[in-house]
Amino acid sequence: MPAVQETIDSVAKIDVDQYKYGFETLIEMDVAPKGLNEDIIKLISTKKNEPEWMLDWRLKAFERWKTMESPDWARLDYPPIDFQDIHYYAAPKSMSGPASLDEVDPEILRTYEKLGIPLKEQEILAGVRKPDEPSEFDDDSGTPPAGQDGRPRVAVDAVFDSVSVATTFKKELQKAGVIFMPISEAIREHPELIQKYLGSVVPVSDNYFATMNSAVFTDGSFVYVPKGVRCPMELSTYFRINERNTGQFERTLIIADEGAYVSYLEGCTAPQRDENQLHAAVVELVALEGAEIKYSTVQNWYPGDKDGKGGIYNFVTKRGDCRGDNSRISWTQVETGSAITWKYPSCILRGDNSRGEFYSIAVSNGRQQIDSGTKMIHLGKNTSSRIISKGISAGQSNNTYRGLVSSHRKATNTRNFTQCDSLLIGEECGAHTVPYIESKNATAQFEHEATTSKISEDQLFYCMQRGIPEEEAVALIVNGFVKDVIQQLPMEFAVEAQKLIGISLEGSVG
Amino acid sequence: MSSVTELRPRTPAETRLLQLAEAQGENENVRRPAIEALRREGLPTRRVEAWHYTDLRQLMGKRLGEESAIEALRESGETVLEPFLHGSSIVDLGTSEGSHLPKGVSVAKSDERSDWKVTPNRLDRSIDTIRALNSAFGANSSAITVEAGAAPDHAIELRPGVGLSGHAHTRVSLGAKAKATFVERLDGNAQGAPSTGVTELHLGEGSEVLWIVDQEKGLDAVHLGQLHVRLEADSLFRLFVLNAGGGLVRYEVHTDVVGEGADIQMRGVNLIRDGQHIDVTTTLNHTVPNTTATETFRNVVTGGHGVFQGIIKVARGAQKTDAKLACNSLLLSDEGDFSAKPELEIFADDVVCGHGATAGEIDADHLFYLMSRGIPADKARALLIKAFVTEVVEELEDEALQYVLEARIDDWLSANG
Repeated sequence: MPAVQETIDSVAKIDVDQYKYGFETLIEMDVAPKGLNEDIIKLISTKKNEPEWMLDWRLKAFERWKTMESPDWARLDYPPIDFQDIHYYAAPKSMSGPASLDEVDPEILRTYEKLGIPLKEQEILAGVRKPDEPSEFDDDSGTPPAGQDGRPRVAVDAVFDSVSVATTFKKELQKAGVIFMPISEAIREHPELIQKYLGSVVPVSDNYFATMNSAVFTDGSFVYVPKGVRCPMELSTYFRINERNTGQFERTLIIADEGAYVSYLEGCTAPQRDENQLHAAVVELVALEGAEIKYSTVQNWYPGDKDGKGGIYNFVTKRGDCRGDNSRISWTQVETGSAITWKYPSCILRGDNSRGEFYSIAVSNGRQQIDSGTKMIHLGKNTSSRIISKGISAGQSNNTYRGLVSSHRKATNTRNFTQCDSLLIGEECGAHTVPYIESKNATAQFEHEATTSKISEDQLFYCMQRGIPEEEAVALIVNGFVKDVIQQLPMEFAVEAQKLIGISLEGSVG
Repeated sequence: MSSVTELRPRTPAETRLLQLAEAQGENENVRRPAIEALRREGLPTRRVEAWHYTDLRQLMGKRLGEESAIEALRESGETVLEPFLHGSSIVDLGTSEGSHLPKGVSVAKSDERSDWKVTPNRLDRSIDTIRALNSAFGANSSAITVEAGAAPDHAIELRPGVGLSGHAHTRVSLGAKAKATFVERLDGNAQGAPSTGVTELHLGEGSEVLWIVDQEKGLDAVHLGQLHVRLEADSLFRLFVLNAGGGLVRYEVHTDVVGEGADIQMRGVNLIRDGQHIDVTTTLNHTVPNTTATETFRNVVTGGHGVFQGIIKVARGAQKTDAKLACNSLLLSDEGDFSAKPELEIFADDVVCGHGATAGEIDADHLFYLMSRGIPADKARALLIKAFVTEVVEELEDEALQYVLEARIDDWLSANG
C-alpha cells in the first residue's frame, strides 16, 4: 500500500526547506580558538571555574579519545569530521556564565521568544499569569501563583552555544528540594553529587563521541530530585546552536532519588548554514528505588537544504539506569531535524521489577540520514520494556531503526515488546530496520514485530464486527496509536508534535 | 578495520587451517588466491558485522586448537548412509559422479572455480570467508543440469566428499519449467573435520525447486555452508533446512530474485543442545517488481547457542514486493541462548514487508490447558514442543517428506527434549 495523500501533505509541511528556526542571532561572542587539544580543555575548565578534579577527568577522557576510532557501523554516509576545525567554546560576550534573567542580553531573550520559548512570558504560556500581571522574574522572591486549571508549568534552562544563559523557576524548585541548574554550576555547588553520578551511566570510555563529550562538554542541565519528592513542575532545557563553526557538546545528568518523580523535556534548533555543525551530547539518567524519570525530546536541529548542504551532525549518547528496584525510565522522542542523527536512548534495567520505555517518531526528508533506536538491557528479575518506533522517510532520505533487546542469564521473567513500523513516501528514500534480539534466559518473553496489520488483528476484528469498514478501522487504530506516542510528550512540545499527529501510518511497511 | 586484522597475530586455529589448505595439493590456481586472502584477513571476529553472533576466529579456535583434531580429520573415513528419501539418486560431490540419474539430469566435473577472485561478503564489506575457505580447500567442482521441462519423479541427493575433500562446490541449473527436488546431505561422523559447501543454484523461467538441507553431523563437526539462489521470472524456490547436529555450523542462504512473479518459501527447524553453535543466515534480495517471499524458522534450544540473521532487501523500483520473515525460538533452559537479527532494507514505497521475532519458553497457559485434561506435565510439554516445530514441516504438503522429517525431529526431541 502506498502512503495516503494526507500523510504526504503532512510530511511536506515539515520538509527541510520549511525550516523556520534558521535565523541567526547577531551578538558579540567570546569564542575559543579552533581545535581540540589540552589547552582548549584547560581553557573550557577555567572559563567554567571548575575544580581540579573535573579538569583531570576531562584530560583523562581526552587521552582515551585520542586512541579511539570513529564508529562506522551505522547506515550513515558523511565525510570524515575534522575535529580540529571546530570551536569548542563559544559564549555571548555579555555573560561568561549563568546569570539571573534580568542580566540576560535582551537579544538572547528575543532569540528564545522567536523560537517560541519566551523566558519572561513563560508563565503566560503555562497559563499561570495574564500578560499584564507582573512577571515572577520581575520579583524573584515571591511565591509564584499556582497553576490554573491544573495545567503544568515548566522550568526552563536555556543553553546558548556553550553556556546556560538562564534557568527559570529555580527558587520555587529549591523549596521542593529539587536542584535544577546548569551542570557547570552544579560542578561547583554540588561536587559530591557530580562525583558520585557523572559518568556512572555512560562511562568516560563508552564510545567515541561520548568520550569526546567527556573531554570538552561545556554546559547542560543538572537535576536532582530528592527522596520521595514529586517534582512540582516539568523541567526543560532548550538548546540553541548560534555561532558559526562551533560544536555544541552538552552534558545532562538527571538523578531521581528513591521514590522521586521528574518529567524532563528538551528542544533543539540551529541557524540555517551551508556548513555542517557538530552536536555531540551525553545524557545520563539515574533512577533509584521506586523512582520514575520521563525524558522527552523534540529534536529540530537544522536539517540542511534540499541538496544536503549544511545541517547539524547529531551524535548523541543517551542512557538511563534503572538502578533501584521498581524504578522506571521512559524516553519519548520526536526527531525531525539534523542532517545526520546517530542516537540510541537506552535503558539498563538493573533493579528488579524495573521498567524501560522508548517511544519514537522519526521523520526524515530531503537528504537527511537517521540511524536511531534504543537498547533495552534486562539485568534484573521481572524487568519489562516496551519499544514503539515509527519511522517516516520522504525525499532522498534514509531512516534506520537499530535496536537491541537482551536478557541476562540470571534475569528471570523479563518481558519485551517491540514494534517498529516504517513508511516510505516517494521512490528515492529508504527505510531500514535492524533489531538485535539476544535471549539468554528461558523465562524471558521477547516479541518483536514490524507490521501494523499483524499487531492490530484483534482490534481490527473488533472494529469491523461493529460495522466499521476495514480501511477506516485501520486508520482509526493507527491514528489512535500515533496519538499515544504524542501523548507521551508534555504539553509544551505539543505544538511541534501536533504537526505529526495528522500523519496516518496507513500503508506502512515493516 | 582491515589494517587491524592484518596486524594481529594468527591464532593456532588459523595457522592449522592454512596448513591444511596448503596440504591439499590440487587446483593450485583456484586455491592460491583464496589461501592468500585468508592469510591476509584471518578468520572473522564479532567485530565483523556479518559474523556478529558467530565469532569464527574464537569458535574455530575452540574446535581446531588441538593437534588431534587435525589428525582425526585426515583419518575420517567413509560412512554408509541410507538415502534421506527412498529411491533418491545419489550424486557424490567429491568425484562429480551420479548413480541412477533420472532422465534430463546430468552431472559433470566443472572448471567453474578457475577464475576465482576474492569476493565481498553479502552482508558487509568484509571478505566472503566461507567462499574463501571453500576455494582454499577446494578439490572438486561439479555442475548439475536439469533440462528444460524435465521433472524427475524422485529426489537427487547431494553428498559431499569425506575428510579433506569435504569441500564441495556445486553449480545447479534448472532449465525453463523444469521441476526437481534436491537433498543436500550433511551427515556422518565427521569427527571434527571442518567442511564447507558452496552451491550456486539457478532457476530458469517457470522452474521449481524443493531444496532440503539435512544437517545431522556429529557434535564435534564444523560445517560452513552457502547456498546462492538466482530466481528467473515465475520460478518457485522452496527450501527446508533441518539442523539437528553439528558442533559449529553456519548455513547461509542468499537469494536474488531477478524475474517478476518469482516466489520463495523458506522454512527451517533448528534443534540445538549444549555444546553446539548453530547459525542460519539468510538474504532475500528483491530486485524486480511483483515478487513474493515467506520465511519461517523455528528453533528449539535446550542448550548451546543459536543464531538467526535474516535480511529482506527491496531494491528501488521493486514495487509490489510482498515479503515476510519470522523467527520463533523456544528456549527450554537457561543453559542455552538465542540471538536473532531480522533486518529490513527497503527502497521502494509500495511494498508489504514485515518481520517478527519471538523468544520465550513454553506458554504456561497451553501447558495448563493440556494438564487440566489429564495429560502429564512432561508429555504435555513434549506435545507442545513437537507442535511448535512440526507446524512448519506440515507446510511442505508432502506426506512422504513430512514423515521422514518428523521422524528425525522426534528422535532428536526424545533424546534431548
